Amino acid sequence: MSYSKVYKAESDLTSKKKISGIQIALYVFLILICLTYILPLLWVLNVSFKTNKEIFTAPFALPEKISFENYSIAWTAGKLGISTLNSFIICIVTLVLSSLIGSMAAFAIARLRWKGAKLAMTYFLTGMMIPVHCVLIPLFTRFSKLGLSNSLLGLILPYLTCSLPITIFIMTGFFKGLPNELIECACMEGANIFQIFFKICLPLSKTGLFVTGLMTFVGNWNELLMAMVFISDDAKKTLPVALSKFVGPHATNYSQMFAAIVIALIPTIVVYCAFSNKIVDGLTAGAVKG
Amino acid sequence: MEKMLRNKKALLVFMLPAFLLFTLVLFIPIIQSVYYSLCDYKGMTKPVFIGFDNYKNLLHDKTFGIALKNSMFFLVFSCVSQLLVGLIYAAILTNIKKGRNLFKNIIYLPCVLSSAALGLLWLFIFGPKLGINQLLIKWGVENPPLWLMSTKGTIPLPMWMIAFVSLWQFVGQSMMLYMAQISGISKSLMEASYIDGCTKPMTFRYITLPLIKPMVATAMSLNAIGSLKFFDLIWNMTTGGPNHKTEVLATHLYQQFKYFKYGYASAIGVVLLILCLLVTLFINKVVKTEQYEM
Repeated sequence: MSYSKVYKAESDLTSKKKISGIQIALYVFLILICLTYILPLLWVLNVSFKTNKEIFTAPFALPEKISFENYSIAWTAGKLGISTLNSFIICIVTLVLSSLIGSMAAFAIARLRWKGAKLAMTYFLTGMMIPVHCVLIPLFTRFSKLGLSNSLLGLILPYLTCSLPITIFIMTGFFKGLPNELIECACMEGANIFQIFFKICLPLSKTGLFVTGLMTFVGNWNELLMAMVFISDDAKKTLPVALSKFVGPHATNYSQMFAAIVIALIPTIVVYCAFSNKIVDGLTAGAVKG
Repeated sequence: MEKMLRNKKALLVFMLPAFLLFTLVLFIPIIQSVYYSLCDYKGMTKPVFIGFDNYKNLLHDKTFGIALKNSMFFLVFSCVSQLLVGLIYAAILTNIKKGRNLFKNIIYLPCVLSSAALGLLWLFIFGPKLGINQLLIKWGVENPPLWLMSTKGTIPLPMWMIAFVSLWQFVGQSMMLYMAQISGISKSLMEASYIDGCTKPMTFRYITLPLIKPMVATAMSLNAIGSLKFFDLIWNMTTGGPNHKTEVLATHLYQQFKYFKYGYASAIGVVLLILCLLVTLFINKVVKTEQYEM
């Protein structure tokens, strides 16, 4: 093999090389890709400020004046206010409970010494493979007998259960990664198992909690099917359901429907922008551990 | 310490809530669902055992045939396309110097957004009056295609549109998984391959690809299950229409549920469950190979 080749390889790795044609092509490609992600969102934002007439006369111009009238109509007529509140209540309660219950089970699987740990893990992991569709009907009939249909609790229970596998999966990885000496040391100092869990292991796995928390929150916030099945009362609907009801192909109040879509998208976009790096890093950490 | 970690009472406290929830809300209903699928059960009346009649009816149900076909198409399409596009994005992003995080964050963004809202958004973009068609008419195209209304072909145009939108939405997930795995490959391996005279594409083919194979299995099973469960986007883009041409198993199940055909819908659910389990097993058998030390 020639020296020049080695030299070139070395220089590839170490020195800053000039921006080559290939790099430029890659950037152009990436920018085009990103446009397909950003343009639809900007378009819906743009249209949401227009009047119905404007949408057809000047479809791609900027709106003549920025007014939030569409938003206020969508908010009241679409009953988006109450459904946003419902979504928040359901998601927060599920988030807290699933983090607590899930990490407790993960701790038992990762740290306690018992024979069934592996079996328990498999049991929870099969939950990831099971589509919720096939438990909808038994749950629905059971819940209507118990008076849980059309109540927020009736939605929290299945959401909570569906969030558990991924929480347990990721948290087990984090708990297994904690050094043994730490727990031994705490034990010598006279801490009992609950203190070890709440005061040592949980605080040290904050990253994992954060990631799983966000994943369950986002997943439940966006969930549509179960919410449609279990809730039929307008006052108990979650945001995706209210949105799907208000916005449809046969309605004609376009600008308000676009405003409703924006309202539904904004919270997650804000959360994502605030934490995007953390979400992305945490997700990869969780993925690699698995 | 040993004694403390073997404490059965603590074990019970830690495991019981999760175990109870899981069993009561997931596993017992599954068994019930299998039972309902063998019953004539129409909501108001009590379920009556009728054997495999629901499954026999499934075979004659034309809409179920379309739904199964569409689901299989969707499964294959999303597995293949997400693998290819996800890998290409990951390879490109690991090879650029600046702005990697920015591009990564933008491509991942739709994964956290609501499929329901995005479905409505694309419904309008491909709708007959707004969006793309406005643009096409402005550019002088006489009869722009009816993106979400056409019924021609074995896999009609709307189904392709849905498949592409879901690729658009979820490719970020596969990309992230592959990027995580690629960044875990040690630099010295790459260096060694360069010194041995490999070009960049060769390194990708002979070093990177074999090393990310375990992740391919994981990402693919996630995609496969996700695509079989897929509901929100289709429901909001076409509601299974036009004329049931874009029905998938999940939407068909929901439609039957709405007409109170509980037994029949349960049978569809069981088919879906079996498909999920089979596909996961299959992917893990075929794709998963030995793990390399990295």
